[in-house]
Amino acid sequence: MKKQFSGKIWKFGDDIDTDTIIPGKRGTIPTIEEMKKYAFELLKPEFGSTVQPGDILVAGKNFGCGSSREQAATVLSHNGVRCIIAESFARIFFRNAFNSGIILLTCSGIQDVCEGGDIVSVDLDAQEVSVNGNTFKVGKIPDNLFKIVENGGLIEDTKLRIKSGVKPLDITPLSIEESRKTGYTLVEKILKKNAGRSHVEPGDIVITKPDMLMIHDIYTPYLLDTLQKMGADRIAYPDRVTIVFDHCMPTAVAKNDYVHYDAGLELARKYGITKLHIGEGICHTIMHEAHYAKPGEVATATDSHTTTYGGAGNFCSGIGTAEMAAALITGELWFKVPPAIKIVLNGHLQKGVMSKDVILKILGDITASGGQYKSLEFTGEAAHEMSMEERFTVANMALEAGAKCGLFEADEKTAEYYGMDLGDIDWIKVDDEARYEKVLTYDVSELEPQLSCPQGVDNVHPISEVAGTKMDEVYLGSCTNGSIEDLKVAADIIKGHTVAKGLRFIVVPATNTVFKEAIKLGYIKNFYRGRSCHLSSLLRSVLRHALWSHDR
Amino acid sequence: MSSFIETILGGKAGSVVTVEPDYAVINDGVSNASVDDISTVAYPDRVMVIYDHDVPTGRPEAAAILRKNLAFADKYQCKYVQAKGIGYQYMVNEVVKPGQIVAGAGTHASIFGAIGALGINVSIPELSRIVETGRYSIVVPETIYVELEGTLPQGTGIMDAAFALLRTIEGVRRKAIEIYAPQLDLHEKEVIMSMICMTGAYAASITETQPEKTDVRFDLADVVPMVMFPVDERKDQARAVIERKEVLSGTDLDAGQIGGYTGGTIEDLRKAADIIEGHTLALGFRLSICPATSRDYILAMEEGLITRFIDYGAQINAAGDHSEVVQGAGAMGRGEKLLTTGLYTYDGAMGMKGAYVYSASVESVARASYTKKI
Repeated sequence: MKKQFSGKIWKFGDDIDTDTIIPGKRGTIPTIEEMKKYAFELLKPEFGSTVQPGDILVAGKNFGCGSSREQAATVLSHNGVRCIIAESFARIFFRNAFNSGIILLTCSGIQDVCEGGDIVSVDLDAQEVSVNGNTFKVGKIPDNLFKIVENGGLIEDTKLRIKSGVKPLDITPLSIEESRKTGYTLVEKILKKNAGRSHVEPGDIVITKPDMLMIHDIYTPYLLDTLQKMGADRIAYPDRVTIVFDHCMPTAVAKNDYVHYDAGLELARKYGITKLHIGEGICHTIMHEAHYAKPGEVATATDSHTTTYGGAGNFCSGIGTAEMAAALITGELWFKVPPAIKIVLNGHLQKGVMSKDVILKILGDITASGGQYKSLEFTGEAAHEMSMEERFTVANMALEAGAKCGLFEADEKTAEYYGMDLGDIDWIKVDDEARYEKVLTYDVSELEPQLSCPQGVDNVHPISEVAGTKMDEVYLGSCTNGSIEDLKVAADIIKGHTVAKGLRFIVVPATNTVFKEAIKLGYIKNFYRGRSCHLSSLLRSVLRHALWSHDR
Repeated sequence: MSSFIETILGGKAGSVVTVEPDYAVINDGVSNASVDDISTVAYPDRVMVIYDHDVPTGRPEAAAILRKNLAFADKYQCKYVQAKGIGYQYMVNEVVKPGQIVAGAGTHASIFGAIGALGINVSIPELSRIVETGRYSIVVPETIYVELEGTLPQGTGIMDAAFALLRTIEGVRRKAIEIYAPQLDLHEKEVIMSMICMTGAYAASITETQPEKTDVRFDLADVVPMVMFPVDERKDQARAVIERKEVLSGTDLDAGQIGGYTGGTIEDLRKAADIIEGHTLALGFRLSICPATSRDYILAMEEGLITRFIDYGAQINAAGDHSEVVQGAGAMGRGEKLLTTGLYTYDGAMGMKGAYVYSASVESVARASYTKKI
């Protein structure tokens, strides 16, 4: 593939979602070759039959939004589309497209001067696109990413790299001194340190070498399968990988869970992965509890709530199975530097108001898409007053706003939690010279407890509006609120009370460490003595089974 | 001299009697079906509605059953018991007194015989009738007297003795069994009682005084480790093959479950903790610990047993009856093999059809957890 090329334009507007690209009802067609005919069938029915290899899509804002179906990118790729120019792209589509062999260029202005059928010329070296005598600037596509596209996508690219012998990327991370340079957001600071880049800005693609890759048992069978398809008989850094058996432990869905369990053991055996946590707790909690995800480092996992360790100033974000396979083999992973929103938390939380209430309030304000591919960066006295566990709660839920990551500054509490010198991590700090897309300021002193109500995490109401609603079940746990601090809060509140008749109160400590500590401190006994508590070590971070009946 | 069953029912063998049971038990296992038929409740305070099987609910259908049971208990002001663990075990420990009569749907109701109470296994329509009328009629059965002699050899457990007994005792269908075994402790008596009606007996009890006659003598010293085999259907559970464990010796296992009134009481958990001490859980063996009742759970925590099980790598389940799991903690996949202290080994009892469930003593399951073999 050349770096200079031209193509005929197909023009689209704003918010083209994945369902428009390929309707959901076509999603079960077994082969992509068969499916590709139906691309844009509702919007441009002629597309499937007339698109030519090399044609270029030009679109407005948020191209590829909606559900994260990988097929949207693969049908375009199989139709011969190698380049899409848009004002902005949806987060997941962006990754899926490159990994399917399509170059995405972010560009404003071209949309106003072209029509479908015009020819656009692209010069990747000059970082320009031109049409009808107008030229526009576009972002840089790094060589490694270009190579993925040139080789026909991530799976093919990885196969080729295996064939020619995977050579580790020569990256020298920035020193701590170099990392202190101001004028950067937290996410920029962490990514450029890892990637060894003296300067980055939003929209840049950086190639990182993740310090820790985490796989949980939902994805073990697919990952094993993908690694085998890629022909991998070894992975780059087995000691930077951990496998957590948590979603399917104890096995509960009879026809599936044992397959996931066996695949996890097979992955470990075949690729020499020794950091195994079988039924020990929720993956995201283990990642910080076991100090696998450290401040200032880069971690990633096959799960959306991977943003959790941002509470410790760790850059972490979820990826798909094929990407995880490629990252395991090559030891590398690319990221597009996200723009950042600074969230200043002033004041002091009142007694009975938790960090969960803060993030729920923010979620309600900015909505589930308000943080789309952004880095949410928390600062202010209330942020520093939060314990580490409270910060992890907030970072965990940044994802719910669509954010790429949710980051806290590193301070004495961070250093103490990890047993590190503050001097080694104090560069993870919000500085006034950094350019933020937006600044949101809250006075948390006024905040009352918040609830996310059905159906949708951003349907947030203060508790005063929903108090009195009759409940069937109360669940305390998960990667958001299963810490020892959370259990203590609950144990203190229920002291001297009895669980209401017919209410199911389920307590799930996040990890065995939390569980054992709670036993030691007498909390678990309190829960049982409070009667009606069903304590369980079902350490499922995602409850895949409806816990109440359909008729409510 | 009158037999236990004659005394408690108030009539000679062969006579028709009508009694008013002290308790009728409806749980979220099988007996919740009776709720659908009941249109009135004679004595609300004698009806125990217990949530003890699908804890916490693993399926929407299970949650619907809970709602049904709760609505029933609310409507008729019956007793609603939740989060106490296995209902029968909880009632043996804390509710039922000697001389009382408990009606439930299931062969294990005979557990109450261990404390001198009568547990009767009735059909679902019969259970509904008992709840509606408060009465129960029966022809008083004959009694078979069994004496257990000697003591168990090292390495065997009381479940092994019960299995051996099930193989030995014949011709007791619809009869009452009275067992004299003064050398057993209360828990051991409960295990024997909870299992003995798998012989098809109507009811069973422990007698504390030596009866005048003995029909069957059984020497505990002859007991060897036993295993109950998988069986095709639930209705044939009592016909499952019971064999000496050695015939299956070396069979690879995928998982083990220690729980129920035959494995999840504090006595059993202590035994299991002792057996695994100094050993490492076999990689690829999934061990579930299911304390029988909340009391057992709390005691096990206080004695440090739960922490030892956690450190060993076991999964700790909520207190309750996890011996039949369609979907929920401990479910097994096709072709997998489970060794459990639970008493259901029919195809599909623990998850998928095509999984193999074997039942054995807590001693056998605990040992298997570090060898991954029967």
